[in-house]
Amino acid sequence: MPAVNHSVRAAFGALLALALAAHAALAAPSGPPVRIGSTLALTGPLAATGLVHKIVGEIYVEQLNRKDGLLGRPVEWVLKDDQSRPDLARTLYEQLITVDKVDLMMGPYATANILSAMGVAQRYNKVLIHHTFGTPSLAKYDMQFPAGGLAGDPDNTIPKVVFDALAASAKPPKSVAVVTSKFPSVHFISLGAREAAKKRGLREVAFLEWDFGNRDFGPIAARLKDAKPDFVWVGGLGLEGNLLIDAMRKIDYMPPLHFHLFPAPGPLLKAPGGENALAATTFEEHPPFTDNPVAVEFIRLYHERGAKAGLPDTSVENQSAISYSSWQTLEAAVTGAKSIDDKAIAQWLKRNPVDAIVGRLRWDGPFNYIYGSDLYKVKQNQNGKWVVIWPKEFAASGARLITP
Amino acid sequence: MRGRALAGFAAAGLALSAVPFFGLPAFYESFLYLVLHWIVLAVSWNILSGYSGYFSFGHGAFFGAGMYTTATLATKAGVPFLWTLPAAGLVAAVFGVALGAVVFRLPRLRGELFALLTLAVTFVLATIVLNTSIDGGPGLVLSAVPLPAIGPSPSSTFYLLGLALALATLWIAREIQRSKLGTGLFAIHDDEDVAEVLGVPTYRYKLAAFGVSCGLAGIAGGIQAMFVSYVTVGETFSIAVPLYVVLMSVLGGSRHWFGPAVGAAVVTALLYAFTAGDYAVAGRAAVGLILILVILFLPEGIFGQAVRALERRRVSAAPAIDAADPPAPSAATPGKAEGKTLLEARGLSKAFRGVQALAEVDLEVRRGEILGLVGPNGSGKSTLINLVSGHFRPDSGRILFEGRDLAALQAHRIARTGLARTYQIPRPFAHLSVLENVALPAMFGRDALPRGEAGHEARRWLAFTGLAAKAMSLPGELNLHQRKFLELARALASRPGLLLLDEVFSGLTHAEIDDAIRLIRAIRAQGATIVFVEHVIRAVMELTDRIVVLSYGRVIAEGDPRAVMREPDVVAAYLGKPHA
Repeated sequence: MPAVNHSVRAAFGALLALALAAHAALAAPSGPPVRIGSTLALTGPLAATGLVHKIVGEIYVEQLNRKDGLLGRPVEWVLKDDQSRPDLARTLYEQLITVDKVDLMMGPYATANILSAMGVAQRYNKVLIHHTFGTPSLAKYDMQFPAGGLAGDPDNTIPKVVFDALAASAKPPKSVAVVTSKFPSVHFISLGAREAAKKRGLREVAFLEWDFGNRDFGPIAARLKDAKPDFVWVGGLGLEGNLLIDAMRKIDYMPPLHFHLFPAPGPLLKAPGGENALAATTFEEHPPFTDNPVAVEFIRLYHERGAKAGLPDTSVENQSAISYSSWQTLEAAVTGAKSIDDKAIAQWLKRNPVDAIVGRLRWDGPFNYIYGSDLYKVKQNQNGKWVVIWPKEFAASGARLITP
Repeated sequence: MRGRALAGFAAAGLALSAVPFFGLPAFYESFLYLVLHWIVLAVSWNILSGYSGYFSFGHGAFFGAGMYTTATLATKAGVPFLWTLPAAGLVAAVFGVALGAVVFRLPRLRGELFALLTLAVTFVLATIVLNTSIDGGPGLVLSAVPLPAIGPSPSSTFYLLGLALALATLWIAREIQRSKLGTGLFAIHDDEDVAEVLGVPTYRYKLAAFGVSCGLAGIAGGIQAMFVSYVTVGETFSIAVPLYVVLMSVLGGSRHWFGPAVGAAVVTALLYAFTAGDYAVAGRAAVGLILILVILFLPEGIFGQAVRALERRRVSAAPAIDAADPPAPSAATPGKAEGKTLLEARGLSKAFRGVQALAEVDLEVRRGEILGLVGPNGSGKSTLINLVSGHFRPDSGRILFEGRDLAALQAHRIARTGLARTYQIPRPFAHLSVLENVALPAMFGRDALPRGEAGHEARRWLAFTGLAAKAMSLPGELNLHQRKFLELARALASRPGLLLLDEVFSGLTHAEIDDAIRLIRAIRAQGATIVFVEHVIRAVMELTDRIVVLSYGRVIAEGDPRAVMREPDVVAAYLGKPHA
């Protein structure tokens, strides 16, 4: 009997293995690949962030091909380096469409390059899904789909969520200083912050601007010290916030609260004086964001690949999350439309939301933007870790705005 | 020659304008447009910076001025795109000329200072554009501006516009190089002060070259604004444009109109060849390495090297001119009354930081004579030559040449009145061939000969001075003796009314001095008027009709050479006073 049992068990096991193998064979993508073309700033001044998007794209394409690809076909990502130049981005997208004959397009990194790619997409009636377009009012193409979680009016929505967070704190600020880069996609949001502060009755004690590329923040720090604001809105990009903090520390000054619009999150986290700094984000590595198993798996892979690629900060946050969400959008649209036809994909996206790791993305507004709400939250550097503190439902467990 | 070149350009234009009709994917047109775009920028930059050596790092500013002119007119004033292009060129040209009108007046702003200043202008312009209603921060979007259908598709339209502008730019660069303007610019490149003294209107030439260079960059900017369709200050006024154009010009060869075009095509193609996402950084590193290697091993650039080799081959084929056929210099001009005053200096004074180099000097040079100007070191002889030739301006006094006051004239205008000089230490144009060195004063001197005729004149003077075999050599390949004779040939080629020779014999051996004396006698034999500054007393005694002795900036004696050299004051000036 035991011998029989053993034989039966062995036969059953063999059958199961066969079935699984057959299933795997069936699920493996086959046929000609679906070719997705894009450029990224892999060299040039924007290369540091471009690399983040490259790693995310590679992870996603691998994940797709481990499943059943797109519509059962393997996926091939044709990636080119636009060298951070819009004129090159435009020409390379033309190459992707007219020479490489890609089926689908994914956007490049940064506003100017996306706008260049958008012009090409429009001429060839291609869908363009993108993640980092900072000036929505410039997007006038009906088949462009922003997947970065930004509203059509970020100059309204981002200041709103920031000032809401401040208003809900134990000690809301009474005065504000707005300091900002004149970089296009940052400047207009900072102007929105001025308006929002004014409407909420905050006293503006300083409004200062600098040209993009400025490295001397001493004069701005000195003016802030004189103005003594309760809260400083820093409309900065990348390391500009760090430079401002350094300049303020040199004159023994640090405002009680300071918010940074699009900082380099890793360096700001580690910067002396960066404690309790606030910033905008769509995703951080804590619940409720990590309640999603897809996000958890992505975080694991990103840590692994990021370390291998030598990234200084391998945590998943805003930039990598919106990049991943863009790929999720592309997959959902092709799967939903059951087609790689651009018109079909565009129609599907206009009618259907996509649940991405940054939240629910929708495109049913003018030029596929939603006005009045976005997926941006407020995070704070607490004990050397970024944690979302507002809105409450997205806040890390027990986290709330720390005020001095 | 010109007609053939024009036909070649027209044929190339026609052939290349057929590309959009081959049915190639649009990408190729866009790529070719980018090549043409960089050709325009590099070639236009080279017109000032390559030819004259005034390295501008401000090409991005003029390119940007064009971009913003087109973007502003097209988006805010509703001007049709094509109509904005002349305006883009004009704005950039006016901006460049206005800047040059100030900068080129200041001799200290040469070399690296000029480069830094033009770079600073880029940032100043960027700040103005960013902080005014021209941009204000958000940038200008041209997506809604209609693009005229010049070609069958938008990409082909850009390609055809780029092609037209590139051909025009190349033609302009070619014509400039082969004109007097080009010759003058190359002379400015090597020694601006000497160029001015030889008759090149340096200020006007630099201004003209800068204006043309900026205007072409402005038009290229106008087209590019439409191509990228989103114009922002950060992208436009970046350091990338000047860096790329410098690299392209150096790589292709900045001393030939076509060199930068070769460099632009190579660099653009190389950058494009390494855009594959997998090895982007390695690709850029490879591009850098290739460029470094080419620049190291081809210092004159790819095209420059080829042209130099061809020119040398052409030398050997050039017809020889018989040295026994010496030309007649204007200095000889027989028929004009000999003995009458040709040059007269009255009360001429010049001080340098408190040191009185010349004090109230009166001097007369008579037509047809050789006047020796002697005196110990520091007596003011070379200063006098420098004042007469316009190298310096006198503090007071008058210099009348054929009755015309030279004191208020610029050096190049003085050269055109018929004065020529040599330098004590030869100052040839280092990058011009011996032939070109001698042809230049023939073009810019009193008779202002046309280019071809000037070349012929130069060959005759080279034969006369025994340098015919060295016509295509560079001055650096000559020995001191030959370089002194090159100075002489250069001065004679301008057909001067008066020849000022500054220590022609210094540093020569005894035998070389004999050669030089024979040469000056030959010039003299034709009745030339010569002022002759010299320390070699043997030569002075053999050659001069009269001498003037200077000491501490004053004339202490003049008259017959033998009598004057025996005067006690003269002996004391040379040997010191005897102590009892």
